[in-house]
Amino acid sequence: MRKSARLRIVGRRLLQALPVVILSTFIVFGLLKLVPGDVAVTLAGDNASEQRIAEIREIYGLNQPLLVQYGSWLFKALHGDLSKSLISNEAVLTAIQRCLPHTILIVVLALLTALVIGIPLGIAAATKPGSWIDGFVMAIASLGVAVPNFWLGMLLVAFFSLQLNWLPATGAASLMKDPWVALSHAILPAVALASGGIAEVARQLRSSLVEILSSQQVRTLHAKGLPPSSILWRHGLKNVSVNLLTVVSLLANRMLAATVVVEAVFAIPGMGGLIVNAAMNRDFPVVQGVVFAMVLIVVCINLLTDILYSVLDPRISS
Amino acid sequence: MRVIDLGQRQLRRRDILALMGGAAAAGTLGLPAFAEEAKKGGVLKVAAPANPSSLDPATGGAGSDHSILWTMYDTLVEWDYETLKPKPGMAKWTFPDPKTMVLDITGGIKFHDGTTLDAEAVKFNLERNRSDQRSNVKPDLSSVESIEVTGPLQVTLKLKNPDSALPAILSDRAGMMVSPTNIKALGNDTDRKPIGAGPWKFVRWNDNEIIVVTRHEDYWRKGRPYLDGIEFNIITENATALRSVVAGQNDMAFQLPARLKPVIERAKNLTTVTSPTLYCIQLYFNYARAPLDNVKVRQAINFALDRDVFVKAALSGLGEPARMTLPSSHWAYNKDVANTYPHDPERAKKLLAEAGYKDGLELTIGGYTDQDSVRRGEVIQDQLGKAGIRLKFTRGTIAEISAQFFATEKKFDLLVSAWTGRPDPSMTYGLGFDKDAYYNAGRTADPELSRLIKESRASEDLSKRAEIFAKIQKITVETALSAPLAFQFELDALSAKVKGFKPNLLGKPKFENISLG
Repeated sequence: MRKSARLRIVGRRLLQALPVVILSTFIVFGLLKLVPGDVAVTLAGDNASEQRIAEIREIYGLNQPLLVQYGSWLFKALHGDLSKSLISNEAVLTAIQRCLPHTILIVVLALLTALVIGIPLGIAAATKPGSWIDGFVMAIASLGVAVPNFWLGMLLVAFFSLQLNWLPATGAASLMKDPWVALSHAILPAVALASGGIAEVARQLRSSLVEILSSQQVRTLHAKGLPPSSILWRHGLKNVSVNLLTVVSLLANRMLAATVVVEAVFAIPGMGGLIVNAAMNRDFPVVQGVVFAMVLIVVCINLLTDILYSVLDPRISS
Repeated sequence: MRVIDLGQRQLRRRDILALMGGAAAAGTLGLPAFAEEAKKGGVLKVAAPANPSSLDPATGGAGSDHSILWTMYDTLVEWDYETLKPKPGMAKWTFPDPKTMVLDITGGIKFHDGTTLDAEAVKFNLERNRSDQRSNVKPDLSSVESIEVTGPLQVTLKLKNPDSALPAILSDRAGMMVSPTNIKALGNDTDRKPIGAGPWKFVRWNDNEIIVVTRHEDYWRKGRPYLDGIEFNIITENATALRSVVAGQNDMAFQLPARLKPVIERAKNLTTVTSPTLYCIQLYFNYARAPLDNVKVRQAINFALDRDVFVKAALSGLGEPARMTLPSSHWAYNKDVANTYPHDPERAKKLLAEAGYKDGLELTIGGYTDQDSVRRGEVIQDQLGKAGIRLKFTRGTIAEISAQFFATEKKFDLLVSAWTGRPDPSMTYGLGFDKDAYYNAGRTADPELSRLIKESRASEDLSKRAEIFAKIQKITVETALSAPLAFQFELDALSAKVKGFKPNLLGKPKFENISLG
C-alpha cells in the first residue's frame, strides 16, 4: 500500500472521528443532566438553602437551557479551553495533563505484561493441544478471567507491599521526574490489570494457532519436511498476528475503562479517579473533559490498529 | 454521608471524661501519650479522606475541608478540644450589650504574604463572608447589621438581634481569616492560591491527589508549629488509605469506618485512636405528607429501633446510642426526654394499628451506596421489619439521593443519613427542623418550635439557653420529627512516630499538637 493512500486513510478517519467525539460528549452531558442530583447543592455546601442553591445556579449558568450550556462548553472546547472544575476551580486541561500519564503508564505496562506472559502461554498450549500444558494454560486463563482485578490488586498489596515491603501500596509518581519510583508504583496495578489480559491473549492465540496449525496448508508444509519451529514462526504466528492485533486493541480499550477500579484500590491519581469523583458531584466540565480525552485516545488506538492491519495484511485496507 | 460542621460544644468536662473513660474501659480508646517533649521538624504524611471543595473558606462547602483549612487559616475564635466551648483565637470577644459584639484582635499577626492582620483585615473578611456573591457562609452572619472598625485592632459588630451563637460561628468557616491583599489581587482564583495566617502556608494542590503545606516562619504563636510541613495524600477509599499507613507510605489516616478497627490493631507499630464525636446517624422524615404526617407512625418507627443493637451491628460498638440530635455529654442535652423511645416493637405495632395500619405499612427510603451505609440500611430494615414496617430502599450517590429527598423532588418518605451538628445547637435545630429549612424535607414546622429556636440565641447565659433547648428537644423528640440512631466515634490510625495527636469532639483532626518522634 502506498504511503499517500495510507495518509489519506488516516486523514479520513480523523475527520470521521470528530462527530464521534462530539456526539459522545453530548450523550454523556445529556446523561449527566438526566441523572438526579445537582452540582449546585454540592456547591452550596452544608449551609444549603433553597435560595442559595438558586443563586448558585444563576452564578454558574446552571439554570440556562441544556443546549445552551452544552453549546457554550463545546464552543470553548473546540477552541482548546476545556473550562474549569465547578467544584475546585482547577482548569480541566491541567487536571487531565496531570492524571493521564499515570493512567497511560499503567495501561501500557499492563498491556506489555499481558503480551509478554500471554503469548508464550498461548504458543505452548497451541503446539501441544490436549496435553497437560494445554490444560494448565487454559486453567490459568480461566482463572485470569474469573479473578476480579481489584481483588487481585489487594492480594498483591498484601503480599508485595505489606508483607515483603518491596513495592509501594498506593500512589503514583511522575515518569519524567522519577522513572524508577514511577515504575515501582505502577508494577502492582499493572499486574492486577493485566490478569484478564494475559488470559485473553493466551486463549485467543491458542485457538487461532490451533486452527492454523491443523490446516491443510500446514500439513503440506510438514510433509515437505519444514522444521516445526519454522512452520510455527513463519506461517503460524504471521497468520494469527491480525487476530492478535484485534485482541490487543480491544484489550487496550477495555483496560482504559478498568483503570477506574484499579486506581481506587491503589489510590492512583489517574483519569479513573478524576471521572468518578466528578460524576459523583455532577461536575460536568470535568466529566466532559475526561470523556473528550478518553474518546480521543480510543479513536487513536483504533486508528493505529487499522494502520497496523494494513501493514500486516494489505488485503484488509484494499 | 453528608458532613456538616460543628463548632461550639460546651460539655461538662466530667461528662466527657466519663464518656472517654467508659470507652477506654471498653477497650475502644487508645489515646497516645502527650506528655513527651515535642520535637520540631519533619513532614507529616496524612491520608486525607476527601478532596477539598475549595481552599477558600468562604466559598467551600464540605465539612471534610476543615482539617486541611485549619492548617492554613487560623480562626478569630477557637474551641476547647474536649468540650468545644469557644475560647479566644486570634481575637477575644465581649458583648457590651446583647446587640453589640466587640472583637479585640491580638497584635503582631501577619498573613503568609506579609499583610498585617488588623481591624481593617478582619472587617474586610467579615464583610466578604456576609455579602460576597460566592460566599456560602452568608446565612451564618445574617444577624450582623453592620461592622465597624473601632480601633487599629478592634472591630465592633452591631447586630439585628441578639445572637449568642456568634462566637461559635467565628470558630468555623466565617472566622477563618484570608489575606485581603490576595483576594484583591486574585479575586475568585484565591481558592487555588490560598493565603491565610495559619501555622502552615500553602505550597501545592493537585485535585484528588495531594495538598502540601509548609511552615509559616512568622507564625504568631512562638515555638509553633512543630511540623515543618504536612502532605495530605487524598485517598477516598478508606481501606486503601489504611493500607497506605500500614505500608509506611503515610503516617496517619483519619475518619476511618469502625469495620477497619481490627485491621489497625493487627498491624504492627500502629496506634488506634477512637474518641467520641457529635456525628449523628439518623433517619430524616418527610413529615409534610402521608403516612409520616401522622405522629403515631413516626413514633412507631422510633419505638421499633433498637439503638443499642444498631451501635453493635452497624458501628462495631464504636458509638453512642442517640436519643436526640445531641449526645448525652452535650451541655444542652435534655435527659428528661432521653427515655421517650425504649426499644418496644409491640408498642410500635400498637401505634401503627391506631394510625390505621394494623397490617403494617411500606415506606420508601433513600440511602447511599457505600459499604457502611448499606450495612446501616440493612440493620434498620431488619429492626423496622419486626414491627411491620417494610422499607423499600433506593440507593445512589450522596449528591443524587440527598437532592432527591431534600430538594424539590421529595422522592422518599425517609432518608438514612447523618447530621454532624453545627457550631451551636441553635443552628442544628434551625437548619434541621425550622420551617423552610433545607434539611427539613417537608418545610413545615410548629410555630412554637420556630419561636423557641429564635429565642435560643437571645441570651449568652448557658443555663438559660439549656432551658430553651430542653423545650425544643421535648417538641422534636415527642413529636418524633426524626429518628436519631447513634453518635459515631472517630477512628484514626497513627504510625508510631506520630506524637501528641489529640482528637476533638468535632471529629475533624487538627494537627497543631503533632510532632514526629
